[in-house]
Amino acid sequence: MTHFSQFGIDAALCQRVLQAALSRGADDADLFFEHSGSTSVALSDNKVNRASTHVDLGVGVRVVVGDQVGYAYTEDLTDTSMIQAARIAAEIAAGNRQHAPVSISEKRLADRYRASVPWEDVSLETRVRMVRDWEARAFAADPRVLKVETSLGDSYKHVLVVRPDGRAVYDYQPMTRGWVVVTAKDGERRESSAANLAQRAGLEFYTEERVARLCQKAVADTVALFEATKAPAGEMTVVLGAGSSGILLHEAIGHGLEADFNRKGISIFADRVGTRIAPEGVTVVDDGTLPFARGTINTDDEGNPAERTVLVENGILRGFLHDEISARHYGVAPTGSGRRESFRHVVLPRMRSTYMDPGPHAPEEIIASVDRGIYCADFANGQVQIGAGDFAFYVRRGYLIEGGKLTRPIKDVNLIGNGPDVLASIEMVGNDLHIDEGGWTCGKDGQSVPVSQGMPTVKVSKLSVGGVSQ
Amino acid sequence: MSQLFELARSTVARAQALGAHEVSVSVSRSTEISMMRRAGKLEQATQATSLGLSLSLLVDDRYSGHATSDLRPEALEAFLRRAIDATRVLEPEPERRQPDVADCGRGASEELLDSFDASRGALPVETRREAAERLEAAVDALPHREQVLSATIYAGDSEEESVRVMSNGFEGARRGTGFGAGVEMTLEEPGGRRPEAMAWYGANHRGDLPGAEAIAAEAWKRAAERLGAKPIASGRYPMLLQNHAAGRILGVIGGPLSGSELHQQRSFLSGRKDTPIASDRLTLTDVPDIPRAPGSRPWDGDGLVARRMPLIESGILRNYYINTYYGRKLGTPPTTGGRSNWVVSPGSRSPAEILRDVSRCIVVTGFLGGNSNGLTGDFSFGVQGLLVERGEVVGHIGEMNVSGNIEEVLKALVEPSTDVWTWSSLRAPSLFFDGIQFSGT
Repeated sequence: MTHFSQFGIDAALCQRVLQAALSRGADDADLFFEHSGSTSVALSDNKVNRASTHVDLGVGVRVVVGDQVGYAYTEDLTDTSMIQAARIAAEIAAGNRQHAPVSISEKRLADRYRASVPWEDVSLETRVRMVRDWEARAFAADPRVLKVETSLGDSYKHVLVVRPDGRAVYDYQPMTRGWVVVTAKDGERRESSAANLAQRAGLEFYTEERVARLCQKAVADTVALFEATKAPAGEMTVVLGAGSSGILLHEAIGHGLEADFNRKGISIFADRVGTRIAPEGVTVVDDGTLPFARGTINTDDEGNPAERTVLVENGILRGFLHDEISARHYGVAPTGSGRRESFRHVVLPRMRSTYMDPGPHAPEEIIASVDRGIYCADFANGQVQIGAGDFAFYVRRGYLIEGGKLTRPIKDVNLIGNGPDVLASIEMVGNDLHIDEGGWTCGKDGQSVPVSQGMPTVKVSKLSVGGVSQ
Repeated sequence: MSQLFELARSTVARAQALGAHEVSVSVSRSTEISMMRRAGKLEQATQATSLGLSLSLLVDDRYSGHATSDLRPEALEAFLRRAIDATRVLEPEPERRQPDVADCGRGASEELLDSFDASRGALPVETRREAAERLEAAVDALPHREQVLSATIYAGDSEEESVRVMSNGFEGARRGTGFGAGVEMTLEEPGGRRPEAMAWYGANHRGDLPGAEAIAAEAWKRAAERLGAKPIASGRYPMLLQNHAAGRILGVIGGPLSGSELHQQRSFLSGRKDTPIASDRLTLTDVPDIPRAPGSRPWDGDGLVARRMPLIESGILRNYYINTYYGRKLGTPPTTGGRSNWVVSPGSRSPAEILRDVSRCIVVTGFLGGNSNGLTGDFSFGVQGLLVERGEVVGHIGEMNVSGNIEEVLKALVEPSTDVWTWSSLRAPSLFFDGIQFSGT
């Protein structure tokens, strides 16, 4: 079975387009074909009242000369349009390197997210029943629930990366995400919160256990806010709960280890490979291979296999996340981290699933060790400045820790720190690594890609907490 | 444009033939060219033309929205059939019906909005390469060039034309051009920190962009203001919020002003119309008809005629963003569904005049992360800035947060300054507040 037909093209046409891309003597080139689609149904005001579908089809042509990139794309997959795009992309090159055409052979690199029940086989009526069921569960979970909105989205991407060395790497990338948004009322107070779950999977993802967890979490997180008050202000000890607090790794170190920033010398980690950047026992991994995870890929968007990349091993910085351009610059193999939002975007080194390996401590032991600090349970978003190393993440919900115990709930507080300082001040790592199943999306240079993150319970001796002075 | 209209009209007609009762179709075509330079050479050049179609449907009062870039006739036909089938399984909501065509149409004329630079079409690709080279040369000519570790130069432009055809009879076309230029600069300081900053400018007309020297100088200034940044003691301080950064704080009220959040009972501004929510020094207006401004538009998302709308007048909340659908749900006339340009009325003193009279003040120059809660108005953002005493910069601030309740903060506005920022859809001067909560050490 050939996958060229998925895009209405054939191997001979790809050869011609690649030849046009390489016609000005470039070092390398690739064609990135993408055919994607999505469907979502949504419920609000007790009605399943909104549906949407989206279809996208096109090709991106990249021409590479050293670390220079010429890029063009088109949604029109005819000979004329694609060759024109290839010639435009080729304008960056002016050399005489020759590439002999080689025969193109199709490959699939791995099979990490095969859907048992693909969304193509799921009726819209089934989707409608699901979002209604989630709504009913949310209303049933607590009498204070006032409004519920639910939605179910699923999408697919067929991608085909064609290279001058004859590789044509195909992948089918499914994704689904379920959302539940709850508004609750207690006396005169109202609070709202949302929960979502996402994976590269089909209908089988929504097991009874997961659906119950999704609806329960949306309601529990909302009503917990009634008890919560503002956080204190200033520097203090912070305990990060297992799971979504992987956002700390994503911001504090992950972006800073994307090799493009280091190739340009603009990351605070640029000169630190082989040196200690965290205490013994801290191992940080970016992994493209976790079965079904939102951040997992069978192939990256340059046609290279995704791998498990150890970034920090027992506190020592081991290396960066590479696409082909940065890998060539550093004389290392690419790590399968070259990703792009769509055929309209150039490849960049990006994270996949970022997490910290577990350590020796029980979570209760970590909390008990803190006399005064805060515990972070639920997160919204984060950001980093690559060069200065300053990063921030927003805690939607947490607790004060007083005398080794979780006491007053807190909410809506931004935490800020400096990446290297915070890594150096990790004091305890828990034994409870959990990869969060939330629908995390990472933004860089205007491109969004799906990622996962995970963390065991971790204690950081000092972070700046953006609350109010007591 | 006629090709786009043809595709939009035929899609409306085909969707109706397949069973849709109301249809709205937008078709847009865009081209973009961008150049990125670094370390003396062109690092990236992108060029593309793009065509896409989006539509919303009402089938027996059931509503759905769709988009596609696969415009091959057989693919479009299959797409429409699937879209209509998907709509039939939903529950009806007559509130989704299109507005009366009498309320739809153009506000400001194309001539007044002046968002299209006709010279773009004739520009050779080389003009963009040269613009990037000039900008890089301006960075290289900076007096402290040796402290610049890396400077990435961006230059590019785009053009978009789009048409809208609705089954209620409304048809409209608009076009615009955009030119952008920017520098992202990283400096080096002892200890390994590499503070960075970006200066970026966009304009509808090529001739409106600042000169290369001014852009390079602004990038340097912003990056240099981050050298040696560190937190200071937590506490309440006067705050001068710089004009270009004001959107982060004022934007906290954006969600709570929207019809969807009011209807879902998720807005702290619910029921607050015609009551004070800010200091009487704050006047904020939605202005869709500013010539050459990025947020200007002839009509809104529903096709309704775009009109000026007061949001806050001398501290009093005057209007919400309510589209046709939420207007019917909330039982109130629609205003408009979303913001165009936000204009904050200026005061009478420059930032320097204001700062001269303050013994100790944090000037916020930028934000890092953070978020807000639309039900309470509470927010917490990371900040960078300057510590200023009687007009003199005495330190650079980083790794700090600013927190509070947006209503309390807007009520703490002492005065807006005179220096209105004109490079974004938020046209605000620097804003001076008293007693704002910062947390640091």
